[in-house]
Amino acid sequence: MNRKNRTTILVKGNWQIAGSLAQEIISKYNVRTIQKPSRGLVMIKVREGAQNSVFYLGEMLVTECKVQIDDKLGVGIIHDDNPEMAYNLAVIDAAYNACLLETSTWKAILFAEEERIRNREAKEMADVLKTKVDFTTMDV
Amino acid sequence: MGYIAVKGGTAAIEESIKRLCYKRIKGKRIIEVDTIKNTMRGLIDKIMSEGSLYSKDLAALAIKQSEGNPEEAAFLIRAYRSTLPRMHYSRAAEPGDMRIERRISAAFKDIPGGQILGASVDYTHRLLDFGLYDEEMADLEQWLREYDKNLIISDGEFNTRIPKVIEFLRNEGIVARASINDTEPRDVTRTSIEFPTTRCERLQTLTRGETGAVTALGYAAIRGYGAVHPTVGELRVGHLSVYIDYPFSGSNEPEDSIYIGEIQVTEVETLIPYIVEKPGGKQELQFSIGYGICYGQNETKAIAMSILDNCLENSHIKSPVHDEEFVLMHIDCVEATGFISHLKLPHYVTFQSELDTVRKTRSHGGNNHE
Repeated sequence: MNRKNRTTILVKGNWQIAGSLAQEIISKYNVRTIQKPSRGLVMIKVREGAQNSVFYLGEMLVTECKVQIDDKLGVGIIHDDNPEMAYNLAVIDAAYNACLLETSTWKAILFAEEERIRNREAKEMADVLKTKVDFTTMDV
Repeated sequence: MGYIAVKGGTAAIEESIKRLCYKRIKGKRIIEVDTIKNTMRGLIDKIMSEGSLYSKDLAALAIKQSEGNPEEAAFLIRAYRSTLPRMHYSRAAEPGDMRIERRISAAFKDIPGGQILGASVDYTHRLLDFGLYDEEMADLEQWLREYDKNLIISDGEFNTRIPKVIEFLRNEGIVARASINDTEPRDVTRTSIEFPTTRCERLQTLTRGETGAVTALGYAAIRGYGAVHPTVGELRVGHLSVYIDYPFSGSNEPEDSIYIGEIQVTEVETLIPYIVEKPGGKQELQFSIGYGICYGQNETKAIAMSILDNCLENSHIKSPVHDEEFVLMHIDCVEATGFISHLKLPHYVTFQSELDTVRKTRSHGGNNHE
């Protein structure tokens, strides 16, 4: 599973999953904090639809953390002020970068969570689609 | 006239701040930041948009601290933003990939994907609901249970990503196709605007503009002070995923990017007709697009932004709303509020000078009459 999918599942999904995966690593390995979770900004770039150019929409508050396992670094970045989650994401990222054995068992957990996210978004969309207009032309 | 330095305000300032605190708490009621975040959606979206920082938590805190004053809340957010390091720039988010929760078109009835009303006050009676005085948590929970119970999900896949109306018009040749332009944008928060501006600077300034100011100028543009006749081709509200490139690898492969969360935005593409001169003197009607986008569900502002975007693309027209300096320099809430409110701070030196001049003039005038 690539990093894009993995981080999407971890951030969109139940945060307890990130917590338990990170805890599994912390209990077995020496995790060194390189950068404590700290607040910062990410400038959001957007492609506009009129001329297909890009511009800066504004910033987003994020929390970022960096850790090291063996000689491998890991980074966790998440929206808003979420220091614990930023740390957990950094530990998971470092675990993947260090190719730790534990990560091979995580795929099934992440796929199951991805399914739950898909169901949740489908439910939200079904709710939204109840407001879809069914136009009927009136005879006047 | 010499300058006269004065002091003695420290105690008064301390008491003024105490008085401010008294005014906020004298009713002996506490509103939780979390309550503001979960019940004041319109205000939160406005503050995030004008504060140019996406954080519902901080917007709610700013609203509490400012006692609900939007200009002060946006000021607090901008000030806090300036204390934080900018760690990353996101990959270009594509609103075409938006997870839709509302989507309408005033130009076409039947748009592929359909018109989705979502949550909107447009169809409410706008009558005060006195029942809100007696709202009880138990009633809300009951309402939510019923709402959830009535939700029927079919087994089919839901397409949460719906193609844009403009794309269909482009395919028909009614709207000119624009090639992808990945030129790195300029950032108005890092370097001051110089005129003439670039498109990216205009869009960034418009999206962080004060809602009322952007709306007022957009309104002026369609009331006759501008040469635009807009129709909303598509208005969509939804969530955009935000990704950044992985900082350690230097890779810019999408698969290697990091998902950091999503933002809710309102995006508007307005169709504005114009005449194209064809060879042989033939004239053809085409549409140009005005573009608007802002944080949250902030529809009036996004529409007004799209009108002003198109006005500023035609800056040769002699009207204030087509004048980029007039529009861009006057819509920023912090600039405008800061400049106007500095007038109420003590500037005895300036006024003393003016007063001296007036007195001298009067004194000369008086002598003449004597």
